[in-house]
Amino acid sequence: MHTSKLKRKLNDLGVNASSSKATENFCLIGTPLPPLEKRDAGEFVPLWKQEVRDEKGRRRLHGAFTGGFSAGYFNSVGSKEGWAPSTFVSSRSERAKQKQARPEDYMDEEDLAELRESRKLVDENDEMDLVGGTQAELRRRAGAGEVEKDSIASKLEEALLPPPKDSVGAKILRKMGWRPGQGVGPRVTWRQRKMQEIQLAGADASELKEDEEDEEAKKHMYPARDTPLLLPPRKEDTHGLGYTAGLKLGEIVSGQDEGRQGPRLSAGFGLGALNEAEDDDIDVYDTDMRSGRSHMAFDIVDEDEGRPSASRSSRQATAGKARSQTTQTSQTFRDGSLVIPGFVVVDEPLVEDRWYPIPDVPKGWKPDPRRVWQKDKENMEKAQQEAQALPKPTTHQQWKTGVTPEQRGAVLGETPIRAAPRSVFEYLSQKDRERLKNISTNLSKPDRVPKAEPIVEPPPPSSSVPRVDPRVAKAALQGFQPFTSDPVKQSRYATFLKAQADPDAPLPQLTPLPGQRAEDFQKELQDYAKAAVVFKPLSAAMAGRFTSASVVETGPQISEGLYTPAFEPEKTEEEKAEEKKAEEEKEESPKAHAARLGMYGSMTREVTPWHPARLLCKRFGVKEPNPEPLEPEAGPSSPAAGTGANKWTPEAALADASGFTAGSTSATDQDGAFVPPAAAAGYMSFNDAQSQSTGGIKSLDNVGLGEDETQGADVLTYERPPMDVFKAIFASDDEESDGEEGKDDTNEKMDVDRQGPLTTDGTVALVKTEKAVVPSHLAGAPNTTAYAPSATGVKEEIDLATFKPTFVPRSERDTKKTKTKEKDKKEKKKKTKTLVSFEVEEDGGYDVALPPKEDSKKRDKDKDRARKKKRKEHDEDEGKEDDDSMWVEAPPPEVVKTLGAIASASSAPEPNDMTGGETSPPRGRKRAIDFM
Amino acid sequence: MAPSRGPQPLARTLHATLANHRGPVHVARYAKGTAKYVLTGGQDRTVRLWNPALGTEIKVFASHGYEVLSITVAHDNSKFASSGGDRSVFLWDVTTGVTIKRFSGHMGRVNAVEFNQDASVLASGSYDATVRLWDLRSQSHSPIQILEEAKDAVQTLHVGPTQIIAGSVDGHARTYDLRMGQLRADYIGHPVTAVVPTADHTTYLATTLDSTVRLMDSSTGKLLQAFKGHSVQNYRCRACFGHAEASVVCGDEAGAVWAWDLLDGQAMQPSPPPRVHEKVITWTEHHPTDPGEMITASADGTVKVWRHPPK
Repeated sequence: MHTSKLKRKLNDLGVNASSSKATENFCLIGTPLPPLEKRDAGEFVPLWKQEVRDEKGRRRLHGAFTGGFSAGYFNSVGSKEGWAPSTFVSSRSERAKQKQARPEDYMDEEDLAELRESRKLVDENDEMDLVGGTQAELRRRAGAGEVEKDSIASKLEEALLPPPKDSVGAKILRKMGWRPGQGVGPRVTWRQRKMQEIQLAGADASELKEDEEDEEAKKHMYPARDTPLLLPPRKEDTHGLGYTAGLKLGEIVSGQDEGRQGPRLSAGFGLGALNEAEDDDIDVYDTDMRSGRSHMAFDIVDEDEGRPSASRSSRQATAGKARSQTTQTSQTFRDGSLVIPGFVVVDEPLVEDRWYPIPDVPKGWKPDPRRVWQKDKENMEKAQQEAQALPKPTTHQQWKTGVTPEQRGAVLGETPIRAAPRSVFEYLSQKDRERLKNISTNLSKPDRVPKAEPIVEPPPPSSSVPRVDPRVAKAALQGFQPFTSDPVKQSRYATFLKAQADPDAPLPQLTPLPGQRAEDFQKELQDYAKAAVVFKPLSAAMAGRFTSASVVETGPQISEGLYTPAFEPEKTEEEKAEEKKAEEEKEESPKAHAARLGMYGSMTREVTPWHPARLLCKRFGVKEPNPEPLEPEAGPSSPAAGTGANKWTPEAALADASGFTAGSTSATDQDGAFVPPAAAAGYMSFNDAQSQSTGGIKSLDNVGLGEDETQGADVLTYERPPMDVFKAIFASDDEESDGEEGKDDTNEKMDVDRQGPLTTDGTVALVKTEKAVVPSHLAGAPNTTAYAPSATGVKEEIDLATFKPTFVPRSERDTKKTKTKEKDKKEKKKKTKTLVSFEVEEDGGYDVALPPKEDSKKRDKDKDRARKKKRKEHDEDEGKEDDDSMWVEAPPPEVVKTLGAIASASSAPEPNDMTGGETSPPRGRKRAIDFM
Repeated sequence: MAPSRGPQPLARTLHATLANHRGPVHVARYAKGTAKYVLTGGQDRTVRLWNPALGTEIKVFASHGYEVLSITVAHDNSKFASSGGDRSVFLWDVTTGVTIKRFSGHMGRVNAVEFNQDASVLASGSYDATVRLWDLRSQSHSPIQILEEAKDAVQTLHVGPTQIIAGSVDGHARTYDLRMGQLRADYIGHPVTAVVPTADHTTYLATTLDSTVRLMDSSTGKLLQAFKGHSVQNYRCRACFGHAEASVVCGDEAGAVWAWDLLDGQAMQPSPPPRVHEKVITWTEHHPTDPGEMITASADGTVKVWRHPPK
């Protein structure tokens, strides 16, 4: 349909609808099939599409969204969810077998294999050792010991089987005839060997005694001594190399390294074959020796084979000589680098500057030069004199710039050199100056131009004063002062401007300075004129658009430079004391003053309102002192409260209730579910409110009314009243069946109508309370029905948590109206009965808050109860009546039944009651009980 | 005792010395009820429970991380609360010896802590110049109310049935009257270190750092009596009433226990009293029922129990 419309539209637009372009479809539905030909394996795949697979064909290196590195169900992790999170295990019991997580726990088989391989390598390395004293060897031996080899066998084994693993170098050495324990190198004579021993012991080689040699020993050659392994001390500090702790600069420099005697031997393998300090063995980096010696590749020392010590000492001596010679020619630093020619290494140690500790400043010291001034009066006088000599204290700016040559000259009494006045214009070439002048004159008033022109002419020697417009001159006087750096010039400029600003006034005209040439003066004047034009401030119209900056003073003003307090004459002690006193008095408030004088009381007391938190009041059991106005009191909501019955407070209610219960007779009745007056009033007010289209004012009394929509919110704001109140209120709701109540309400209204001019429920209530004064129950009888509790709900304990009042539709209630009316009539007759039953029943009543003024109601209720009881009997007799139809409840407990029996006994002479009850047969459906 | 004969003489015979504290003892409180036990708290971060009659230590409560400055015992002796340098108030169970609750919220050390009459509210006054009222019935850890009127550290507290009195270093004794909903601030002029009202709450005893104990009228704020002679200028030396509130007892910084007749304000004999502690007496508390017993806590690390000489 739409397409046809579209086509039509397109036709209208002049587009051929049937053309291929018009019918082209841009929608792709479904997935395109893969190409039919197979992909070849070597096809280029972009890097991001390439997959990494391990030797088992499992995918490796997953992307972040496909499981990440080595993750995923199918690869390495045992579950579909991935790594199972470690569950919490109480460490209390498991502490003993707490397991340390090892890295191996997180490795897959590949990693483990890798680890194993690496371990193998390590083991092989471990096995290689020279002496066979490694841990592995020891372990082997310990293991062998376990097998109980006898010592000889093990010794043999040890002797026969050399340590299985040797380094390659050791093997080669062995092959060359080296044995462990010997030194490496050619064999030496006995004497040489002895020498080596002595040297190793650190003794002087000259100690060797000739006579100790014996003939036999001389005949043989001996393997060289084994070189002790040089063990450099382990470096455990973090100092730099060569640093010695505790050495100071001077000591380092002065320390000539006495410890070093001979040439340094380069430590290394093979030394010791000929332990003499051969040139090869000499550390080539030891530059102490370098200066005097030439090194050869093969410098065989054959001075004296027999006495190496002598050769050595001689060499040393020559070295020392050489050194002493070289000190004159070239020196080296300690690190070996040559001293730059022309410089000399210092001989004596550097003496460090001595630092003296800063003297500690006495506590409370303030930099106050006044103290110093006062200390020596002379100083102060001098200062005063100086102050007199220098009338103007130098500003910081002046101080900073220092004394200008002119000032210094003035101080020294020199005659000032009349240099050409400095100005920007001085530095301009003549041409530029002229050009500038032209510009400036053009800028100024055109009529000034002809006048300015003649001035411009340099030659005229006549001292023609250049004219400046008075206005301009005036403005320039107030504007920027260009010659502030030169006070003389500035003053001359000012004089010139003043003269120009008021040409008629007899003001001092500018005269040439003494010794100033006429042309110079002329030039000066021209300069001034130019400057006035250039530096005149903006015209008023323009200036109005700008505002000068103003400094907002915030915080203390900081003066630069050293603090120099102004000199103040010292105050006398009395003055000080007075000042102090005045300060104190000023600071002291009247309160403090009163307290100081001991005048405690109203002066020292401040009473302010304080609002304790609600909860605090609650916890302290104190009524809130100034609570927020809650709801208006119950008065207006129910006019019946005119008697004060509705002014219900828990305390009062409790007091009343106690009195009430005390006065009541002891009986066995449990039918305590009477309605407290508050609730009763509430009903009335409710009715009232209903008549006012449920817009009535809420009060405590309203609480518990089922049809009040706003009641819930209201209740929440209250503190929870005692249980009794709830019971009373809700029990009334519950037990005086609503059906009946509704009936009663309407009934009441009707009664009211019948009774007279009273039209509202409120007035009815009033009437009731008035009636209450009358002892006779007859009078109140018509109203009693209003508070008749339901016959069936007597014994029920109300669980507030689950309680929910149920209401019967109005229509149903109306059906029973007539019946109750008849009942009312009946009850009027048998007042004595009810009285009896009241006493019986009342005892079981709840401790309900009940103002005494509601006695009539109580009695009414009692009567009602009695009546109800009768009805109960009746019900029992007749079977469950209409109430049961509304309130599906458990049958009355045994007690009630027996009570009912008692009551029936007491009300025996009222058979007509029953009949009365029967006279109003239940409407609607018939029940089985009816047929009994 | 007939009023004409003046107050009963102070118990001045040393009955027992409770000396297990290391360092100064800051507070010593009798238990409630028959007051058979004494709780002390000191610089050594412990609270110790003693039997003053035998002079034996019963229990040590050690959870504080700083010095203990204040202790209060609940009406039923089942709980007590302590506070100190660790800026929180500890609520303890006496029998198990563990903290039930710790209320933190103060910004400074808590100088004073006090239960109300049924131990449903705990008031704590701190160096941070606030009094916080903690609810013990609920599980909340935030205070019911914070009284922030003090301008300086709150040194002492008293919680009556309908009022809270807080003494502060700013020289005020502030009475928060719950029933009237008003705050009465009495300016005393010197740092108030202890406030102890009489049982009828018509007067209260204010110890200040000008070496004076003042008896103030609660209703008008007038000075009823000033007790002088001792020297308290730097330390909190809590004064208390003697038996039947007929006398006023206060330790001083020299280590002597002073007693004055409440009515005429004269120091009771011996005057000046002998020095009984090595250092400043930080706390004096008279036995609530026994007329002849009293304890003093001192910075010398001991708490001494004083009784009348046996006859």
